[in-house]
Amino acid sequence: MEELDGVGAASTIQKLESLLLVAVPRDLTDRDVLRLRRGVLESVRRYRSRWVLLDFSRVDICDSFFGRFIQSTARMAGLMGSEVIISGLQDAVIETMVELGMTLPNIHAVLDLDDALALSREQEQQDGGMPAPGVEPLESWEDEVVVASPFTNLSEV
Amino acid sequence: MANTPLNQVRFTISNVVDVVKARRRGLVVATEMGLHPAEANKIAVVISELGRNIEQYAGEGVITLTVYDKYVEIIAEDQGPGIPDVARVLAGGYTTSQGMGLGISGSKRLMDEFEIQSVVGKGTTIRALKRLR
Ligand SMILES: Nc1ncnc2c1ncn2[C@@H]1O[C@H](COP(=O)(O)OP(=O)(O)OP(=O)(O)O)[C@@H](O)[C@H]1O
Ligand SMILES: [Mg+2]
Repeated sequence: MEELDGVGAASTIQKLESLLLVAVPRDLTDRDVLRLRRGVLESVRRYRSRWVLLDFSRVDICDSFFGRFIQSTARMAGLMGSEVIISGLQDAVIETMVELGMTLPNIHAVLDLDDALALSREQEQQDGGMPAPGVEPLESWEDEVVVASPFTNLSEV
Repeated sequence: MANTPLNQVRFTISNVVDVVKARRRGLVVATEMGLHPAEANKIAVVISELGRNIEQYAGEGVITLTVYDKYVEIIAEDQGPGIPDVARVLAGGYTTSQGMGLGISGSKRLMDEFEIQSVVGKGTTIRALKRLR
């Protein structure tokens, strides 16, 4: 029988700049998923992470349950002021997710860790240099954000 | 003969670990028979969705993956409570468990043929087929 690295396996959560880097194992059972989600929330609080990067490069089967995990993690992290980025989705996984009809609204997706870092740095810089709301007209503020955001929304792929 | 199974794997499902093992084995079998990775992936996800439903709604059941010359067939059988409104479930977005109601309707989209036979109080049999191109 094949190795099941998710079953009972610990996933690694590391801090990297303003990112919380979560290496999502494949073959997660429901209990693993719950544990992973709680681990993510604890770490977001501990490190005050602005971004959670779910690295999916090891995940080669993504069913509707996994999709719900991504969504619920994003919603929960969002309540701590943290945003979720997913990276490393495999081509085969992407094709299946989209055809299955899984949508991941409000989740940023990037190709790999480098792009995730670039995204978070860019955003940090923008936040730092951003004038206080009200100082600038709203339209120009919005324009700036849209133009400068290389976000890919999975549901639009 | 065209209808002789080239390979057959049978999975008994009664918990989530069974589902995780079955879908992994399904991915390996589908990949080994030369399916495109994306097609093999769909086989694995359909096994996962149907397996989860067995575990969740029927408690236990069996999934059989059979490889033929021209197609792959997945049969999921259980003696659980059955599905009262099959059409509604096939249409998608219908759930009795706070899911997304995506398992069956989505699996149907991933396969070329998909049929449900279900009798309330007796059980459910789902047959899904993917043609090899
Ligand atoms: N084997 C089964 N036996 C009895 N009822 C079933 C079975 N499979 C599915 N159902 C019923 O059909 C409904 C829809 O199933 P489907 O897999 O499409 O969505 P779900 O399981 O509710 O949510 P999701 O799969 O998106 O997590 C289920 O909520 C359940 O009521
Ligand atoms: Mg389901």
